[in-house]
Amino acid sequence: MERRVVITACSAITPIGHGKDQIVASLLKGVSGVKTLREDQLVSRFIHSKVYGTVDYPVDYDFKRQYRKTMGPVAYYACQVAKEVLEQSGLPEDFITSGKMGVAFGSIHGSPTVQRNIYKVFFEAKDKAAYQSIGAVDYLKSMVHTTAVNITKMFGITGRVISSGTACTTSSQSIGYGYEAVKYGLQEAMLCGGADEYDTITVAVFDNLLACSTAFNSEPRRTPRPFDKLRDGLVVAEGAGAVMLEEYEHAKKRGANILAEVIGFACNNNGGDLILPNLDGITKTLKLGLENAKINAGDVDLVSAHATATKMGDIIEAQAISAVFGINPYVVALKSYLGHTMAACGAIETILPIYMMQDGFIAPTLNLEDIDERCAMIKHVQKILQKPVKIAATQNFAFGGVNTIVLIRKFS
Amino acid sequence: MTRQEIEREIKNIFQREFEVENPEMDVDLREAYAFDSIDAIELLLEIEKFLGSELTREEKKQAMDIRTINQICDYVEKLAETRKVAPVKK
Repeated sequence: MERRVVITACSAITPIGHGKDQIVASLLKGVSGVKTLREDQLVSRFIHSKVYGTVDYPVDYDFKRQYRKTMGPVAYYACQVAKEVLEQSGLPEDFITSGKMGVAFGSIHGSPTVQRNIYKVFFEAKDKAAYQSIGAVDYLKSMVHTTAVNITKMFGITGRVISSGTACTTSSQSIGYGYEAVKYGLQEAMLCGGADEYDTITVAVFDNLLACSTAFNSEPRRTPRPFDKLRDGLVVAEGAGAVMLEEYEHAKKRGANILAEVIGFACNNNGGDLILPNLDGITKTLKLGLENAKINAGDVDLVSAHATATKMGDIIEAQAISAVFGINPYVVALKSYLGHTMAACGAIETILPIYMMQDGFIAPTLNLEDIDERCAMIKHVQKILQKPVKIAATQNFAFGGVNTIVLIRKFS
Repeated sequence: MTRQEIEREIKNIFQREFEVENPEMDVDLREAYAFDSIDAIELLLEIEKFLGSELTREEKKQAMDIRTINQICDYVEKLAETRKVAPVKK
């Protein structure tokens, strides 16, 4: 039995705004969320890349102590977007707590802020009082599935829990596996997404791999530059995104506002190197996604590319897009506005195309001034287009050789 | 240490650590204030600080049946009596 799966709510906290109005305004104005890397009294002074996709505005949280006590910063992000999505969906409380709804939510490694405090005890503990400073809740705040289970606790969700932690494909897997859970009748609805908090250690990792942007430290908004000749690497970022996936008949019956339909998902692995981009692997992913959605390559209007702005990654991705989709779909690299929001990127980069579908525009790739000729075989967007988008594909690729594609269709 | 001093300190702990102002003395803490097992562990650490003395595992296990503020005060009173030491003044 295969059932249709629709999106009945979505929300995001991003470096370019919180919620649809702010985010769309930023996309239309070409606002970048990339700012100067903050001093962290630890490793920031050694990091060559001095830029970060930053949520630099206050988020108005209103969580009771009973929930706050097990939440690190990443869970604050996750629970806030989950709360907004639940409210927006209009799903009643008795359904949310019925076991018919589950959660698929993740982060790349829990809460590094809390983990950092625990490590301090390892290295600095001199007495029992220091040992006792590791609170009973530190594990709950920092564990890899902290986002998912803080959401279940706060809203009394009793269905399935999926908490992938596959780096950059974390939340595209959340959406994909949530989609499959609803499609195959395991759940009636799934709250899906991902989040990551401000973390300089992640920057240090990519910086040491020479994958971070360093040439625009004095002009943060000019980087990252996906597909541009001057691109020099990724920019790590923070944020969160969540969508409500719901079985179509269920949504229709209750008169839900359907934003879009998820029509396909695919995930595979390169089966080899854990870091290098792999043309064969991601080409297969894109083809598998089209097969799963039962559509032709020519049906896709918009590709939300992973496009982190690394030298090789963008070229390989452009080659794969060209090989599978040809010149037909417009291609936008949303990390050019946000930076790389890590575990949140799959969800955020699915939500922004929904906004574009709703409002009938396609945002250009920011900082794409001079297209690298090795990436020029696809249809880049360099200025705002007033175009209807019917089908969009969001593709993400992660360390570990994991590749995903999520396909959504405008609901009519 | 008087019963009054113990009550005052327990109420202080509840205000400071658990954001509960003037808790009812005999209500079930879980039902009234969503006080759970995680809070119980934190409370035991606070009681150790208050008494200036570590609790044994057996004493900690005894605390797991406690449901009300009055029962917490009974528990602390008994611990203080066993130790016959003045609590740490804050």
